[in-house]
Amino acid sequence: MAEETVASKSMNLRMTVYAALFTALIIIGGYISVPLPVGPVPIVLADFFVMVTGLFLGFKWGLASVALYLFLGILGLPVFAGGRSGLAVLFGPTGGFLLGYLLLAASAGLLAGKGRPSIARILMALLTGNLLLYGAGLPWLKAVTNLSWAGTLAAGLIPFIPGVIIKITVALILARTFLPRFRERLVSS
Amino acid sequence: MTLFHYIHKDTVLHRMDGRLKLAALLFFGLAAGFSSEFHDYLVAFSVLFCALLLARLPVAALLKEMGFFGVLILIVMVVNAFTIPGEPIPNSPFAGISQQGVITGLRFAGRLLMVLLLSVVVTGTTPLARFRDAVEWYLRPFPFLPAARVATMFNLTFLLLPVILDNFKEIMAAQNSRCVQLRKNPVKRLKYLVFPLLDQTLRRADEIAYAMEARGYSEVRTRATFKSTKTDWLMLAISLLVFLFVLF
Amino acid sequence: MALLETEDLTHVFPDGTVAIEGINLKVNAGEFLVIAGPNGSGKTVFARHLNGLLRPTRGRVLLDGEPISKDLIGARKKVGLVFQNPESQIVGQTVAEDVAFGPENLNLPADQVATVVEESLAAVGLSRFVTRSPHALSGGEKRKLAIAGILAMNPKIIVFDEPFTGLDYPGVVQVLKEILRLHKNGHTILLITHELEKVLAHAGRLVIMHGGRLVEDGKPETVISRVENYGLRMPLREGEKVGSLTWLK
Ligand SMILES: Nc1ncnc2c1ncn2[C@@H]1O[C@H](COP(=O)(O)OP(=O)(O)OP(=O)(O)O)[C@@H](O)[C@H]1O
Ligand SMILES: [Mg+2]
Repeated sequence: MAEETVASKSMNLRMTVYAALFTALIIIGGYISVPLPVGPVPIVLADFFVMVTGLFLGFKWGLASVALYLFLGILGLPVFAGGRSGLAVLFGPTGGFLLGYLLLAASAGLLAGKGRPSIARILMALLTGNLLLYGAGLPWLKAVTNLSWAGTLAAGLIPFIPGVIIKITVALILARTFLPRFRERLVSS
Repeated sequence: MTLFHYIHKDTVLHRMDGRLKLAALLFFGLAAGFSSEFHDYLVAFSVLFCALLLARLPVAALLKEMGFFGVLILIVMVVNAFTIPGEPIPNSPFAGISQQGVITGLRFAGRLLMVLLLSVVVTGTTPLARFRDAVEWYLRPFPFLPAARVATMFNLTFLLLPVILDNFKEIMAAQNSRCVQLRKNPVKRLKYLVFPLLDQTLRRADEIAYAMEARGYSEVRTRATFKSTKTDWLMLAISLLVFLFVLF
Repeated sequence: MALLETEDLTHVFPDGTVAIEGINLKVNAGEFLVIAGPNGSGKTVFARHLNGLLRPTRGRVLLDGEPISKDLIGARKKVGLVFQNPESQIVGQTVAEDVAFGPENLNLPADQVATVVEESLAAVGLSRFVTRSPHALSGGEKRKLAIAGILAMNPKIIVFDEPFTGLDYPGVVQVLKEILRLHKNGHTILLITHELEKVLAHAGRLVIMHGGRLVEDGKPETVISRVENYGLRMPLREGEKVGSLTWLK
């Protein structure tokens, strides 16, 4: 009994540390952009790390990690993409995407499941997550900027499609190669 | 690197009660979001600049390191100037720039700069632990929210941000020296970048978890003590006034 | 009764790696023990069992005759572990904050935490760095900081995992002096290293691990002649004595 609670405490600490580090990765993902030879928009990696966070940490801790990210931004620390922060950003044109990160991590964590991940299942989880992300982001963008639907899509969706495809592909590879090892290690300690 | 790092000095801003400073940060953040007229910016920036001087932060060094953000702000301005429809500027050497675009761009840039300056002042004068303790203090009354755990996560995130960033730069440099630029496949490039980064980060997380456990990590822990002075309240009042001024 | 004892300690990782197997070791109070072994011989895994960070697949660890699984927090107070990589054990943004981490976990009153931090930093000679960022310290100072963080918990036994890795000559001397001082003050020392030439002169006992097993255990003078059988470099030249194996003049 005492053994049991000690083990679960130690698991909790481990997940706390992971969640904090994934928050740091999401923040860094918003600062670094990888110049990729597709399209005019440089790829920002924040949403990629949100996907990875959901896949690796699962529903509860993935959500906690993204929530911490938003919380830090609301406090006024420059953690959002390009060093922005504050409630104003959250209610600004891109605020829907930021809240959508919660949905993305949640569905990646929930739908990918706990067992040995199959490609189809992870793909489904990531696609659903991204649909939800843009489902939250685009109407918000349209409402705040008063753009037409065509304008909204041109500004908030089309330039990002190649990037999203690349990010999903890499997340898939990660989930196939890395995730099983990661989960094994988690159980072992 | 001094930007966004704590710089130890002994000033009123450094000594300020973390709880009040956090509230002041929130007010200023809101003020930045709501600024739209010229006089809003004037007031907010003057107060921020006073704070910067009051904190005796190395202004010159900080400005130099803000170059990255300078480029960012410039891009935002240029993009806005060209894409927002409106009246063309008479006698302008660039075709396609609209008056409204320039104004929106300036506003946007002003806000970004304000947030940036604010972060510099706050992070430069506040040790992470003080920040964390204040966050915990505010969260404590909420039921079902593990305040101590959030505080730990807060601390770890900022502690490791520079470490991971360094790690990332090193990985990039190592790959560039092996001519990764010649790779055309974007999936591969992203993969080569993310794999080592994630691997190292997870390993580090394991080590940190062990090290914390070895020192008996517990969420029931010594609580911070707070002291607030009249000056602290005065500074909070100033930030509230700036916010109200901008709002109306 | 031995202060610290392991019985048939065995750890098998889920991927099947047998990291340590059947380790029986008794350590008495006040000993200075050096544990040596090549890379991958299981030294770190062994050390992490001593305060319950890893749980054995088989066997157990006893402290003062009691299994540590009964009181893990107590074990962590009694057995301080200084990690192989000093970077990864820094959890504070300033030196003082980092040392305070342990006593805060023990939920000591704030003023007592402050006293303990002060004393621990003074003990390792880092008092002038209280407000400094740990990452800005030199390698030797970082190790000392890690030691201060452990001292703040007032342990009886201190386990050093490769304390000399990555240190230059003055760094090694600094850390070595610190370890000897701790031993003189009554702490029991377990020191893991494969660099015998740096410290063996000060040890009362030498234990060798190889392939996860404890293969030698005895007086340094006797064990040293056999180290080459286990992939370790023989640190003595013709005619030299174990007493010459130190980096302190
Ligand atoms: N989490 C793990 N999962 C599987 N195997 C592991 C794990 N950790 C360690 N091992 C294996 O256990 C063995 C012992 O490792 P350990 O780290 O104790 O060696 P060491 O003696 O400390 O080596 P070094 O001198 O390099 O520090 C090694 O073969 C290692 O690969
Ligand atoms: Mg080791």
